[in-house]
Amino acid sequence: MTSCPRAEDLYLYLEGGLGPYDARKLEEHVECCQACREALEERRLLHEAFISLPPFEVPEGFARSVMDSLPEPEVRKRGWLAPLVAAVSALTVGLAGFNLFTGTSISDVLVALNGFFGQALAQAAPLAVKTLRLGGVILKVIRDLLTLGLDGLATFSRVLGPGAIALVVGLTALLAVLAFLGARRFLHQGEGS
Amino acid sequence: MTEDRQLVSRALKGDRRAYEMIVRKYEQPLTSYLSRMTGERETALDFAQEIFLKAYCSLASYRPAYKFSTWLFKIASNHMIDHWRKKKLPTVSIDQPFEEEDGPMTPQIPDPGPSVVRKFELAEIREKIERALESIPGTLRELFVLRHVNEFSYEEIADIKSLPVGTVKNRVFQAKEMLRKRMEAT
Repeated sequence: MTSCPRAEDLYLYLEGGLGPYDARKLEEHVECCQACREALEERRLLHEAFISLPPFEVPEGFARSVMDSLPEPEVRKRGWLAPLVAAVSALTVGLAGFNLFTGTSISDVLVALNGFFGQALAQAAPLAVKTLRLGGVILKVIRDLLTLGLDGLATFSRVLGPGAIALVVGLTALLAVLAFLGARRFLHQGEGS
Repeated sequence: MTEDRQLVSRALKGDRRAYEMIVRKYEQPLTSYLSRMTGERETALDFAQEIFLKAYCSLASYRPAYKFSTWLFKIASNHMIDHWRKKKLPTVSIDQPFEEEDGPMTPQIPDPGPSVVRKFELAEIREKIERALESIPGTLRELFVLRHVNEFSYEEIADIKSLPVGTVKNRVFQAKEMLRKRMEAT
């Protein structure tokens, strides 16, 4: 007969924490040893009691009272504030530095800056207007071209019969496939070189 | 576990409803632990409230790589340590062997003597365990409660208490044997 198991192993066995080999050895021993059998039964009863201790009964509204005691979440500072502060600080430091190194007064610098930005704005505004006008003209041309194309297609389908339309569509698809394959081959050749 | 992470993430974005769900999920396990640690119902509720508040304020430090329950009980365990320190309750070093009134514990050999626990029904045994729990050292009681009331694995308890798994297993075993002997003595 094997030697008596440690009391610690009895608890581990009851918790399922012993490996299969050790568990089998313990079971075999307990079958032949009355003292260990009794010790195991005693711990089994205790173990059942340990794992079934009653939970604490939490009073109704406990979670609510916890939530009421929590501080309000911090309101996050707006994302634009920090960059704005940084920009103003940088401008101030820059002006002060310019004043120190060149001796030019800050008001003169501000007047010069104002003149520079005013001139830039005066030049940029007509350019922006012209760009907008050009955009409008381009959009109008595209719209006219699309209308013309659609009218042409309508006339084309009226003149040709259904068989001829199918033939034209088929030929167009074939040409598209050939163009695609040709392009692929051309690109592959480019990779190889 | 994933659900906890999602709730934490939402709570961090200011969603108080998400944190309330966390509180509702953990109020019972936490108060079950605290009631056994303090032995007083009202104190357990007060402590639970303080721990939920602490957890809320330090939610940003929670790392999703760990289980939320482990993190929360770590806070609870530290709270109990502070409490014992303030009350200057005698604490026993986790590295020293625990001694019973009848000498050092030698639990390696099963006790072949007549079983006392057999006399009681399971409900009576539970009552006796609850009473005996109050008489064993806090450090052993805590590990026992974490294992058998809160049903943490030995590895999780090792994480909560920053102890080796072997030490945790040994201390839980010592707590159980100490409880058994205390129950026999009554």
